[in-house]
Amino acid sequence: MKLPDTEKSGGGPLLLVALVVASLIITTVYFREGENGPLHALRRGVQSLAAPVATVGQWTFTPARAVVGLFSGLGVSRSTLAELRAQNTELRGRVAELEEARLENERLHKLVGFVESLELESVGARVIGRPATAWEGTILIDRGSADGIRVGQPVLAPEGLLGQTIEVTAHAAKVRLISDQRSGVAAMLQSSRAEGIIRGSISGDLGMEYVSRDATITVGDVVQTSGMGGVYPKGLLVGEVSAVELNDNDLYPRIVVRPSARFAGLEEVLVLTGAPPQPEFGGGE
Amino acid sequence: MNRAAPTAIALFIAAVLQVAAAPNIAIGPVVPNILLLVVLILAFAEGPEAGAAAGFVAGLVFDVLGSGPIGPGPLVLASVGYLAGSLSANMFAEGWRLPVTVVFAASLLAEVSYGLVLSVLGEGAPFWAAFTSVMLPAAVYNGVLALLVYPWLARFLRPERSVTTFRRMV
Repeated sequence: MKLPDTEKSGGGPLLLVALVVASLIITTVYFREGENGPLHALRRGVQSLAAPVATVGQWTFTPARAVVGLFSGLGVSRSTLAELRAQNTELRGRVAELEEARLENERLHKLVGFVESLELESVGARVIGRPATAWEGTILIDRGSADGIRVGQPVLAPEGLLGQTIEVTAHAAKVRLISDQRSGVAAMLQSSRAEGIIRGSISGDLGMEYVSRDATITVGDVVQTSGMGGVYPKGLLVGEVSAVELNDNDLYPRIVVRPSARFAGLEEVLVLTGAPPQPEFGGGE
Repeated sequence: MNRAAPTAIALFIAAVLQVAAAPNIAIGPVVPNILLLVVLILAFAEGPEAGAAAGFVAGLVFDVLGSGPIGPGPLVLASVGYLAGSLSANMFAEGWRLPVTVVFAASLLAEVSYGLVLSVLGEGAPFWAAFTSVMLPAAVYNGVLALLVYPWLARFLRPERSVTTFRRMV
């Protein structure tokens, strides 16, 4: 079949150059402007609009996942009694609802217990969005500035540290996970008290950097926040050492950390709204 | 025929799906890039200029939805959209197989370029780790999605052209 050619106007290369220049200008403006600049404001505005869309997406796909799980567990023959099958289906639905409520209750108890033991103020939140691109290690939660959430507050899962808030709108906040490549957490090994920085990576693995060569490090050592830097309170569980490597030419040992928090399938989190203890530098009354 | 409306509709739906659907159909950490997919198909349908313009808009949306710097997305997607659009004369004549292959190659090019731009800006990751954990898997995922989406989206954008669907091929 003979196909019509796409129209040619001859301005293509010029348009491309203009768009490339515009992109470079946007990039420069982004790095030059402050947190209140137009591009940052645009991002916050889009995030406000995206939060309900993400919630709808999450809500839409949850039954699909549940149905997949339900069908994978069904093995009843079609020759069995029809009325029992209908009753069974109804009961399955009820059991699933009750089981869901029981699991949520358990998770919330665990979360609240964990935070109470640390004596920190917190706000509970639901996860309403997961990373929208493969380059992101962030989640979206359904609490924002109206609930007392501010940028830079630590976020916890029942098992331990999850990340910190990086963008906040009135009713939603974006949380950067500690597994994100842009994340850094001041941490220490519980046994030897050796300090370092926990870094995320593009693959989602955690590494602990800048730990002294002289420190005694063994697989299974517990890693917790050190409280340095003033972002995360001291003593939050991060994970445990899963591998250590120290070559003669290395300045620091290479430490791989297995995170305590499970990033996949997160549903509820706690945001620590109480300010972490700040160091006193003196000089004032 | 005014083609701006279908293009705008396709980009808007792609942006909504990137927020609402893509995170929920992710395989592990690999989230499909629906915006890129639509830009490439737009470029095949409309040519290099439309591909570049659509890539610029989609890239801006991609960056604004994320938490990294704003700017690398439009730079990469406008360039890849332009390149893909340069092949538009051949894409529709060849049915669906060539476009799907080109989507995979263009996705890989876009992901690698994006990673390199981030590295230049000091926001990048070790190349090999990024290649194996994000770039290659995302390109494969986009290629598979293109297999499902391409014939229908291409017909929506250019109804006057003939596109062989997967069902007809079978």
